[in-house]
Amino acid sequence: MSALLEVSDLTAGYGQVTVLHRLSLCAGEFGNVGLFGPNGHGKTTLLRAISGLLRPRSGTIRFDGAPITGLSPRAIVARGLIHVPQGNRLFPDLTIADCLALGAYSPHARPHEEANREKVLAIFPKLRERWRQRVRTLSGGERQMVSIGTALMSHPRLLILDEPTLGLAPKIKDELCAAVLAISKGGVPLIVVEQDVEFLLELSQHLYLVNHGEVATEIRPGQTMDHAEIMSMYFGH
Amino acid sequence: MGASAEILFGGLFQGSLYAMMAVGLALVWTTIGVFNFSHGVFMMLGAYLAWQFVDIGLPLPVVLPLAVVAMAGIGWLLQASVVRPLIGRSNIVLVVVITTLAAASLIENGVLELWGPRSKQIPPLLDGNTTIGGVGVSMHQIAIIVITPVILVALWLFLNRTRLGLALRAVAQNEDASLLVGLNVTALYGLAFAIAAALAALAGIFLGGYRFMSPVMGADPLLKALIVVVFGGISSISGPIFAAYLIGFFEAASNYYFGLYWTPALLFAVLILTLMVRPEGMFVRSSRSLA
Repeated sequence: MSALLEVSDLTAGYGQVTVLHRLSLCAGEFGNVGLFGPNGHGKTTLLRAISGLLRPRSGTIRFDGAPITGLSPRAIVARGLIHVPQGNRLFPDLTIADCLALGAYSPHARPHEEANREKVLAIFPKLRERWRQRVRTLSGGERQMVSIGTALMSHPRLLILDEPTLGLAPKIKDELCAAVLAISKGGVPLIVVEQDVEFLLELSQHLYLVNHGEVATEIRPGQTMDHAEIMSMYFGH
Repeated sequence: MGASAEILFGGLFQGSLYAMMAVGLALVWTTIGVFNFSHGVFMMLGAYLAWQFVDIGLPLPVVLPLAVVAMAGIGWLLQASVVRPLIGRSNIVLVVVITTLAAASLIENGVLELWGPRSKQIPPLLDGNTTIGGVGVSMHQIAIIVITPVILVALWLFLNRTRLGLALRAVAQNEDASLLVGLNVTALYGLAFAIAAALAALAGIFLGGYRFMSPVMGADPLLKALIVVVFGGISSISGPIFAAYLIGFFEAASNYYFGLYWTPALLFAVLILTLMVRPEGMFVRSSRSLA
């Protein structure tokens, strides 16, 4: 079985600065993929290149066998590759209802709008209570729920989450982790960037450590890896 | 009796024109984050197109939609030529001031070349005059006072009750997030400009049926619309609408009590005072949003 997403020799950056150096990885072969590594080493840049927000300098990205390198974000969304960016900077003056409707804007998602809305509200029942509330009035955890809910409305075939639990209180974080696991069980493969390695290990058996803009280590299913070993990879030998 | 009727009527009439202009400026600002200095020229060009269509013998009910749609197309083209190529530059706000001013100057002189400096007039929407509360008014002005709120409500409904309107509001708030839900951001930018140009054209046609037209007829309404959006806050649609009518009433009252001569100075005093007291405008929250 070939991988759903293949990134090969990707080089990308901003202005004079090159962030990713010929980075390669595959996702979707063995279920979910977890990305971890120190901040400022290219994880978010990688995700921005995958979703079309950033045009890579060289290398190729293939989704479901077809090249998507350099396509517009709209074309990439239409293929079902959905990216939830870091830090839930959503639409502050739209209501939850509006955000979810926007999620289903892409023509491929519209026929599934009703069914997807029910799914989102089943995973995040809190959103129903605050249905007509503006995003700016929600808590950080609720905003993250709206972000992920909006992405689910786009009928994802692969969902990318960039640090979904960043800056959340422990109780809300647990709630969100449970929701992410539920989404995965619902049949949507995930790529998750997360600093919380415990959560990543629970979610995925296929991990990449991204360091200095390249893949430092790949951990495949079957290669057992405990917390201490990962920590030592994090901080160097 | 006469005084209050005159102020009320004058305020409603001026306020209507200012609202049509200011809403377009605000629409472009909230969605793209640039200030469009060719907005006054949109108004003028709309009026001249309408005049041309009337001149070749088309009836007014045909001319009105034709000129408005043509201006929407011209607005789109202008956006594609002098705004879109600059999107993404860090100094876009300043550069677009220059490019839209340049475009305005080119169009103004083009119109002067094409149609000449002689003043022109479009037939009024409705013929005849009437007297209300001791003040003589034309049916044309009454038509404008009635039609404008209908158009503004329609715009509000479009922004708040349709999927496309929702997309426009989203782009105004967060461009990256809009891209990630699959919105066609460049097309929405074009749409914002097209709607703004269409509204300006309508204002121009209204004005051209009431006063004589000239290639510089848009300059004064643009200046007034600028005062309106600074006063009301540019970051929403409803703020400028309220402000347009308030400024309209203020101008009418000032015209009545102090005379035409002092009104511009007083308006600028209001502008400066607003900037000192509430620089974000009277009717807004501090972030950009439509509706």
